[in-house]
Amino acid sequence: MNTPVRLGIVFVVALVIQLTVFVDVRVFGVAPELLVLVAVVAAFFVGPERGPVIAFVAGLLWDVYLPTPLGLSAVIFAVVAYVVATLNEGLFHDTRAQLVGVVAVGSAASVIGYALLGAIVGEGGLISADLIVIALVVGVFNAVLAPIAAPIMTWALAAEVDRR
Amino acid sequence: MALTQRSIGKSRHRMILLVLTAITLLSLDLSSFGPLGTAQRLVRDLLHPITEVAGAIVSPFSDAWNAVFDYDDLETQNRLLTERIQQLEGNEMAVEAERAEFERLRAAAGVDVRPDLARVTATVVRGGVGNFDDDVITIDRGGQDGVHNGMAVVTGAGLVGRVERVDATTSAVLLLTDTDLIVGVRLADTDEVGLGHVDPNDPSIFVVDTGLEWPEDGNELLLPALDTVVVTAATSRYPAEIPLGRIVEVRPGDEDMLTMHVRVALANDITDLGFVSVLLAEGVDQVPLDEPVPSTSIPLTTATSAGEGS
Repeated sequence: MNTPVRLGIVFVVALVIQLTVFVDVRVFGVAPELLVLVAVVAAFFVGPERGPVIAFVAGLLWDVYLPTPLGLSAVIFAVVAYVVATLNEGLFHDTRAQLVGVVAVGSAASVIGYALLGAIVGEGGLISADLIVIALVVGVFNAVLAPIAAPIMTWALAAEVDRR
Repeated sequence: MALTQRSIGKSRHRMILLVLTAITLLSLDLSSFGPLGTAQRLVRDLLHPITEVAGAIVSPFSDAWNAVFDYDDLETQNRLLTERIQQLEGNEMAVEAERAEFERLRAAAGVDVRPDLARVTATVVRGGVGNFDDDVITIDRGGQDGVHNGMAVVTGAGLVGRVERVDATTSAVLLLTDTDLIVGVRLADTDEVGLGHVDPNDPSIFVVDTGLEWPEDGNELLLPALDTVVVTAATSRYPAEIPLGRIVEVRPGDEDMLTMHVRVALANDITDLGFVSVLLAEGVDQVPLDEPVPSTSIPLTTATSAGEGS
């Protein structure tokens, strides 16, 4: 099975879990964002060349289900993935603790970026007093799930990781 | 691993390309480019059977989660319901009288949840999927059932929202609790027409804050009476005469007492919906001034019709 097929499977499974489990399972009314998680972990593993492309596709899939315009999540995911991958390449050695930290910060940043860009394209309702709470909970939630996502993404991106 | 200069340049070029692609998609989607909507609908329809099966598999887990973590809420709800039942039983006569009064008002205003319009009943499949779409629900009826964008969604008590996105077998409904959703309304008591939205601080209250004028001479007898019914207007995007709620407060909209704000207690508890109906009739986006009242409105009484027609 090649990488695009494996990634496709991971994306669909993440999306289905998001649409079924995390519609009800929430903390303080906030659900984790699995597609962001997948995007950030992918960027962490494959770097700034391919990471943003994978993140963009994940965001596009998520956009299909959101009431906001198509491309909003995609561009934010790609930018966050690019920043995550670039910083990770330049500053850090890859460790599990760093992955958890990067996922937490990247996920929170993507939530804030999504709301801010959404406001710019006319979705003013995305910015509210709850925004910081949502970003924090998503960051923590995704960080907790990062150790589970890491081996799954390692499997999905096996060929890419080996190439690096 | 340090990035080479070539690698940095390549990744930057890709990033720019991705941003340009996203901007193009955003522009096309914002201008309601048809093929883009069709493609999204196709993806959702394709994945729908998978999400449906997965939803059935994980529902016991979700129920268990809700039972554990929402137990306090359930207990409070249960206590409140018990109190309410006792109160209703104790005041049966009063309730009957109120019901009779309500029916009388509805009859007087010609109000009903439009029994003349065809409808499909739908189950609420899920609430919002993301963290920013609490005001959106998904129902198990779609294009195959005759549902179209913009159709009114109601319960037996009145309006709850409008169809926002239609797939083959499901639809997304934007609830009234979205404060950006503006609804044209008519005060059944005075026949005045205005625009309103849900109070951002209290989703059970609808505020009519545009289009209503405070009586020029300040004669409060001309104000709409409290507890009277408010319905959707014939000039609304929705079929006319769908109940919305009852007036709980009338006050001046400004210090000069030129405008009027009316607060309406919504008839529905929109935060807890299990079943809804989609009215298979579309309202109008805008009523041209030289056109008659749209066909979705309830015909007026004979005397009034004669007056309107002349």
